Parts: sequence; structure tokens; C-alpha cells
Amino acid sequence: MNAPAITLTLHDSRRVYRPGEKLSGQYFIETVDGAETQAAEVSVLWHTEGKGDEDIAVHFFDRVSHDERPGLDFRQPRVFSTVLPNSPLSYEGVLVKIRWCVRLRVFLSRGKQLVEERAFQLGEVPPARAVLP
Amino acid sequence: MSGAEPRPAPESGEPRAALPRSNPFSTRFIQPGAIPYFFPPGVDAAQLVLRLEQGGGWGEIIGPHGSGKSTLLAELFPRLSERGKRPLLFTLHNGERSLARHRAELAYADAKSLIVVDGYEQLWPWNRALLRRFCRRRGAGLIVTAHAPMGLPRLYSCAVDRQTAAAVLERLLPIRSSIGQADLERALATHGQNLREALFELYDLYELRQPSQGA
Repeated sequence: MNAPAITLTLHDSRRVYRPGEKLSGQYFIETVDGAETQAAEVSVLWHTEGKGDEDIAVHFFDRVSHDERPGLDFRQPRVFSTVLPNSPLSYEGVLVKIRWCVRLRVFLSRGKQLVEERAFQLGEVPPARAVLP
Repeated sequence: MSGAEPRPAPESGEPRAALPRSNPFSTRFIQPGAIPYFFPPGVDAAQLVLRLEQGGGWGEIIGPHGSGKSTLLAELFPRLSERGKRPLLFTLHNGERSLARHRAELAYADAKSLIVVDGYEQLWPWNRALLRRFCRRRGAGLIVTAHAPMGLPRLYSCAVDRQTAAAVLERLLPIRSSIGQADLERALATHGQNLREALFELYDLYELRQPSQGA
């Protein structure tokens, strides 16, 4: 089976967004046989990264599937958009970081999944840096 | 395109380089399930599943702290599911002495269930006996992890050697990086071959070696 080609783009190709701004993009999935893709979920989310337990919260979520919409063609671009919240702002700490991204999860036949992400920054909080004791 | 598991982004390349890089030793990249278990030559997950079935679905995984016991469990789960088993994982923390708070989940255990207790030695001996009796009555399988033998059929003994540690590092750092094999070996020596703690030490080292913004 050839792996599907996933195209996920943000419309204005920006790296930094301000709170309250609109973020929009689109995706499409190219497969040899279009029926191979069962469903796709696009999320706009933040998660923490660091040495401890990690947190995640989904700000925007949209799922489309063959079950709900028979005949759905994933090769056709599907647009999504959301207004970004005021917080949490992206943060580049030492012990913990806050990361925003658009995540596309594609569900294929036989339980396989593929994930594609586009990271972006919400706000412009200066990064922290580790220093030697 | 990436697979379903998170992996650190390459340290170079466009267009993502404009955003901060992930620390490759973050929990999300090193937790069980995020990296595969690296078996020594001649051993693989399929063999262990077969060994478990030959042991009547009961077995123990033994090894010191940070030797990969939980990572091995995560490696086995999908294969056990393919064999029709339903793993029920209970991870014990901070000296949890009983499974009382998991009673609701245990209530549905049946012959297809495989009860997995990560940190089994933390249970009181009486509660271990109760659990074994419960599994026998339900016909359920039982896999436990512990730091010392617990009297179940030995499924596997985990240990961290130089080759395994190098494979993990290579997986986390697919291209040139500020962290190298010598750093890992120093960290392992500091933490008595506890790979988990060694990787967390490398997390700090990675942060220290990051160039300042604008440098």
C-alpha cells in the first residue's frame, strides 16, 4: 500500500499569530485509492513539553469521515478556520514549554493512522534560557 | 509526513526551523510507546508473546529502574491485542499498596483480559495473592513488572547496555546534535545505568547547550 500524501497548509504561512487573530488553512489527502482514507481530524491545540507530565488542550476540532458523509473525497481541499484565544501564549521555558500547532490525524483502513502537524507561535513571549549554576 | 507517534523534529531544515526546536529528551519523546523497545539480537516481541502464551498468559518482566520495563509493555500491547487479548494496564505510583481504586475496571475482566500491573512489588503481598486468585478465577492473563523476581514465569529481564543506550540516542537524535554518545555514557554512569534518568539529564544538557536567541 502506498502511503497517502498529506498536504496541510496555513493560509498566510505565518509563524507568529496574535491572540484573537484568525488562523485558517486547508488540507487534502492524496491516495491511490481515495476510499483508503476513512476519516480525518484537524485540531488546533496547545500542549506542554518538558521533563514532567505533559498537558494538552484542544481549542478547535473538526472531524469528517466516510461514515457520516458517504462519498466524501479527501482529495478535495478542506478549509478550516478558528479565532485564536487569548491564552496560553507560546512559551519557550527550560523546564516546560508551551507549543501551539495544527494537527491533522488521518485514519486509514485497518486501523492505521498518520499525523501531520504545523507549528505556530501564539504571542511573542521572550524565551527563557538555562544558565550554569 | 510523520507516523502516529511524536518524534523530535530534525535539528535543521526548512520551513520549521523558524520556530523553537523541541528538546528531544522531552517526556513526549521518551515515554513508553514513543520509542520502541530495542531488543538484543535474537529476541523480538513476537517471541515474548509466544512465551507468554506458553506460560498460560502469566509472566513477569524484571529489571532495575529505568531499564525499559514500561517501554517493553508498550511494545507488547499491540501484538497482544492482535492475538485477541485485551490488556488492562495498572501503573502503580508512590507505594500504591492495593488495586482498590481500580476495582471498577477490574470488574469487567474475563478470559480475554490481560491484567498488567506495572510496579507489582508495591502491592502488599496479601493483595498480590488476591490479584493472582482473581485472575485464576476469571481465566485472565497476568503480566507484572518488578525490580526483583515475584514468582511468576519469567517473561523477560530488562537491562540497559551500551548498545541499547546508543540505539535510543540515535533514535532521538537522528542527525548531528549538540549531544553525543559520550554525554549519554557520562549520564548513565552518574545514574547507575538508569536510562530514564540519564535521558532527563540530557534534557538539561540540551537546554544548556542551546544557542542564545539571535546567536
